Amino acid sequence: MADQFCGRTRRETLWQMGGGFAGTALTWLLAQGGFFANASPLAPRKPHFAPRAKRCIFLFMYGGPSQVDTWDPKPMLAKYDGQPMPNLDGDPLLKVRKPGNLLGSRRKFTRMGQAGIEVSDLYPHTGAMADHLAVIRGTYADSFAHGSGLLQMNTGFIRQGFPSLGSWVSYGLGTENQNLPAFVVMIDHRGGPISGPPNWSSGFMPATFQGTQFRTSGEPVLYLQPAPGVSRETQQEQIAMLTRMNGRLGAAGPENQELAARIASYELAFRMQSTAPEAVDLSHESEATRKLYGMDQERTEKFGRRCLIARRLVERGVRFVQVYSGGGHGDDTWDAHGDVDKNHEKHCGDTDLPIAGLLRDLQGRGLLEDTLVVWAGEFGRTPTSQNKNGRDHSPRGFSTWIAGGGVKGGQVIGATDDFGYAAVENKVHVHDLHATILHLMGLDHTLLTYFYGGRNMRLTDVHGRVVQQALAA
Amino acid sequence: MIRYFAAAIPLAALAAPDFDRDIAPVLARHCLQCHGETVRMAGLDLRTTESMAKGGSKGSALKPGRAEDSLLLQRILDQSMPMGPKKVAPGEAKLLREWIDAGAPSGSGTLARASTRHWAFEPASRPAVPATTAPWAQTPVDAFLASAMAAKGIRAVQPASKPVWLRRVYLGLIGLPPTPAEQDAFLKDSSSAAYDTVIEDLLNRPQYGERWARRWLDVVRYAESNGYERDGTKPNVWRYRDWVINAFNQDKPYDRFVHEQIAGDEIEGSNADTQIAATFLRLGTWDDEPAEPLQDRYDQLDDVLGSTSAAFLGVTLRCARCHDHKFEPFTQQDYYRTLAVFTPLKRPQEGRTESDRLVGTAPELAAYNASKQRADSEVAELDRKIERTRQDVIRQLLKNRAKNKIEPDLAFLDHVETVLAFSTPAAQRNKQQKKLVNEFQERLDKVVLAQAEERERASIIAWRAEKDTVNASRMPEPPRAYIWTEEDTPPATRLLVRGDPNRPGAEVEPGVPAVLGKPGAEAVRARSTSGRRLWFARWMTSESNPLTARVIVNRVWQGHFGEGLVPSENDFGVAGQRPVNQALLDYLATELVRSGWSLKHIQRLITRSGVYQLSSGWDAAAGKTDPDNTLLWRWKPRRIDAEIARDSMLAVSGSLNSNMLGPSVFPTLPESVLAGQSQPGLGWGKSDKAEVSRRSVYIFVKRSLAVPELEALDAPDTTASCEQRVVSTTGPQALVFLNGAFAHEQAKHLASRVQRESGADTREQIRLLYRYVLSRPPTAEESADAAAFIGKQADGLQAFAVVLLNSNEFFYWM
Repeated sequence: MADQFCGRTRRETLWQMGGGFAGTALTWLLAQGGFFANASPLAPRKPHFAPRAKRCIFLFMYGGPSQVDTWDPKPMLAKYDGQPMPNLDGDPLLKVRKPGNLLGSRRKFTRMGQAGIEVSDLYPHTGAMADHLAVIRGTYADSFAHGSGLLQMNTGFIRQGFPSLGSWVSYGLGTENQNLPAFVVMIDHRGGPISGPPNWSSGFMPATFQGTQFRTSGEPVLYLQPAPGVSRETQQEQIAMLTRMNGRLGAAGPENQELAARIASYELAFRMQSTAPEAVDLSHESEATRKLYGMDQERTEKFGRRCLIARRLVERGVRFVQVYSGGGHGDDTWDAHGDVDKNHEKHCGDTDLPIAGLLRDLQGRGLLEDTLVVWAGEFGRTPTSQNKNGRDHSPRGFSTWIAGGGVKGGQVIGATDDFGYAAVENKVHVHDLHATILHLMGLDHTLLTYFYGGRNMRLTDVHGRVVQQALAA
Repeated sequence: MIRYFAAAIPLAALAAPDFDRDIAPVLARHCLQCHGETVRMAGLDLRTTESMAKGGSKGSALKPGRAEDSLLLQRILDQSMPMGPKKVAPGEAKLLREWIDAGAPSGSGTLARASTRHWAFEPASRPAVPATTAPWAQTPVDAFLASAMAAKGIRAVQPASKPVWLRRVYLGLIGLPPTPAEQDAFLKDSSSAAYDTVIEDLLNRPQYGERWARRWLDVVRYAESNGYERDGTKPNVWRYRDWVINAFNQDKPYDRFVHEQIAGDEIEGSNADTQIAATFLRLGTWDDEPAEPLQDRYDQLDDVLGSTSAAFLGVTLRCARCHDHKFEPFTQQDYYRTLAVFTPLKRPQEGRTESDRLVGTAPELAAYNASKQRADSEVAELDRKIERTRQDVIRQLLKNRAKNKIEPDLAFLDHVETVLAFSTPAAQRNKQQKKLVNEFQERLDKVVLAQAEERERASIIAWRAEKDTVNASRMPEPPRAYIWTEEDTPPATRLLVRGDPNRPGAEVEPGVPAVLGKPGAEAVRARSTSGRRLWFARWMTSESNPLTARVIVNRVWQGHFGEGLVPSENDFGVAGQRPVNQALLDYLATELVRSGWSLKHIQRLITRSGVYQLSSGWDAAAGKTDPDNTLLWRWKPRRIDAEIARDSMLAVSGSLNSNMLGPSVFPTLPESVLAGQSQPGLGWGKSDKAEVSRRSVYIFVKRSLAVPELEALDAPDTTASCEQRVVSTTGPQALVFLNGAFAHEQAKHLASRVQRESGADTREQIRLLYRYVLSRPPTAEESADAAAFIGKQADGLQAFAVVLLNSNEFFYWM
């Protein structure tokens, strides 16, 4: 797999979509050129070893949720509320941000699930699913800034230009449904995350592997429907005409595959006009299901819709779906500089029920056992205050969780220090989280490489270890 | 080479492997770049059995008679060596094992004597042009290819028809299709010079620079924003794009082209133009809020070094940042010595805001600064006089106001804040005060003039007139450019242990990678810079440099044929691909230097050749021997670049605006595209319809936003040098051109143009459509098919134009 796209073949990578259908108009070309013989870059591919999860839904809490108010209770923090944070000199990068005094959490934590994981009152519904979650309290990252933090959580690097996790997974595994993109991104209704599309870019890999933005209503993909004034019948005629014209051109060399792929891409475009809207069409979902996702309530309707569409997409064979909570800037995201309670009550309130609904629904459909669900922001927040009741960014130690396929739920992995600032026990770097996600999907992060710029590039660069504790027996 | 070994294995199986015959080639191919004459990583030299047995820092590499215990074989078997993507083939490993087990008999020592150096690191020598009798072969370029074909028993296909060649050369040289009139002119010209006439015409058109500048912009990671969180706009970067376009059009000698981009501020004759060229060094991404500033500083320098070494030298030097290069003969020392060329660079910035700089010759800048200072002080003096008088008048007014003699127009002065705002010196006013002053200034001025004494009024008017005169006579501001400055004293450059900026090691002097030869005498300090970059640039274009000329002629070749003669255009190193025809590559490289580094000369050598005229037809026999067409026995069809596709659509629809140069334009983007930004629309301007109909090279390149028509056709990622565009074929891509607003608009214009120009007859309309879009008339069958289609649809002609604009023949270079 390593050298698949390097050298001569790298520029001949085609999304030879239509590999899974029989476009009758093409039959002669296909037979001639061995169209099916050459695997499409997105054809399902064998992983390195048996996967525990066949697909992944990544719930991205953009802005950076506060760990000490959600998944990581810190009694000591409450005790020393209002005191200066000790040993600031130990972290010059925090010190320059001029942190305020320690700010104890106002949240109430209770033990939830059989496992008795302590979860704050912000997550009554998701907390109830605690037995499915492996809460990684010792997660840490490298950047204090949103832009580079987002890039790292998505691509492993704080610099721009690297393929995202979803791209690596699509590259490694292909996808099950050639009529939908392999990697779908649904941004928040309030806007995209900082840094924008580079967060789901395929970097130096072909665009075939980049995330496709899906809108959650109407026309999910750009220019999906015929231009104004063009009927679907005319469109069908156009494609038939195009196919005849391209067929006449023919081509006898190896590029006949490339040209045939172009013909197929139009057939696919035509079919996507029904498959894509069908995937986001929730009219056939039962009232009970919609309710499960909180779609009957105004505040949870939007994120609930994205989660429900995520389920529909993975159900239809999409390999990797990323769903954002938080868009734009300020308190429209989890970036709680001003008032952490107010901010998080809003964002947790908007997402708690839908997340729990997603887990329940996946479970009910037998999908949870081989669908990996990841919950993470780009970093956590300081235990110290900012603007009185807010908290600043902190990548030193924060909580994330994974659930579903191959994950040993009902456990807490690692710990932060007494104040919940830095990860100190069983630390899990973003690279380790990535290595673990790939592992669960049957990919060895040291073998999943792409030759570029003179070396074999990896999602985890030269780092990363699989968090064994997270794996189900 | 692989084929060679496939043949060698059965021979070797007959007897114990012979060092010279069987082992030496394996070592030479896989090992000696890093463990040989020039470079000895881990202290290990693998050229003789003695030096193998002696070993390096990891101990002896060879235990004669005990293959399993020999590090040489172990490392190969566990795939840890060689470190590059090319591994030792099982057959080769088997030979090594048998040889060691047989006691590792020494060879004649030829391996130790023979040069083990990599082809691309040796200077190009002028090859003799081979003789050929191939009928299609017309030029020296053809002779090299024909002789390589003859050696394989391959014959080239027939030449393409005139219309096919014409379209090919138009797209190739100017990136636009020939108009029907241009088609007629060429088809009518039956003289032997017809082809050359077209080539000369195209090379002299300004569109040549627009097309070829775009190729270069890929190579230099061109973008006009910083990337990252705010993706701020880099001011004045478009001037660099214009410089590139002009350089191609003026056929600026390539050595000068290199010098100006690396050292336009240090070069002799440095002026605004050459300084703008140095924008190259600052085109990379920039994090205005870096997680770790020191790390970020070295990331920026790495971008400069990496882009320079990839773009001009075609090597992956940046891989040696943390350790010796794992499969090229570049040491970490080489990396940091080269980095020292760039460490004096300083980014002009104030916090998150970047600054650009005035550019020009030293006298120009001095004259401008002096004149500016003079005018500024004159204006300041006049302002002072005016202000003093104004204040007198205002004081009087306020006094009168106290006596209830106020004008109704001055009611706004009843507010304390307003009075305070006006009485606060301009520089010290806060936001609120500035607002108030802005709001009432005009009214106050009116009142002041009305209320002033006659003498005062006359003075104010005179001073103002004087001010206008001074301002009008100001020297126009020189252009500004987005370039680095340099530290007054170059900082010490240290090797960083494992690339970690917090672990500085020994100090290094500026230098070049040792394996690539020696630079000239030391850098000479320029007026305000260290002179290191100029020194480095001169080395790059010196006769002893083996790479620079080869790399650029290879890029030109690739621009026409899709593949370079070295297919890994940015990697001429050991891990890169070998040239498919080194003699031809070296011929072109030496021609470039002989012609005074003229790229148009190379363009002529290529486009006038017989190989450029070959058809895209298939030959079963040749296809069997060389299915990939590496020997170029036919024209290999390939998709046109995104910009050529978009520009061609504009051209055939008649809406192309051919205005050149200047600030970039912003096509209207669909809302759903802007929605991906955290602040939709931020950093994306507005341009009117005529402006957005300019060629794609003028579209603003924003790192976090893509124009759908260009993105769908694989416009390059701008993070690092893009050597070659990827070709992906996707469903969403089809949607953009089948249903997208841009394609439909062009189809509409095209349909009405054709109706206008050819009258009401459908067959005539179809004929003209074909000639515009595909540069040829339709066949009878095509015409009949199209007519039937058009007859059936509402807006049939437009619907058919959409089809033609989506056809493979339009999108492929045939």
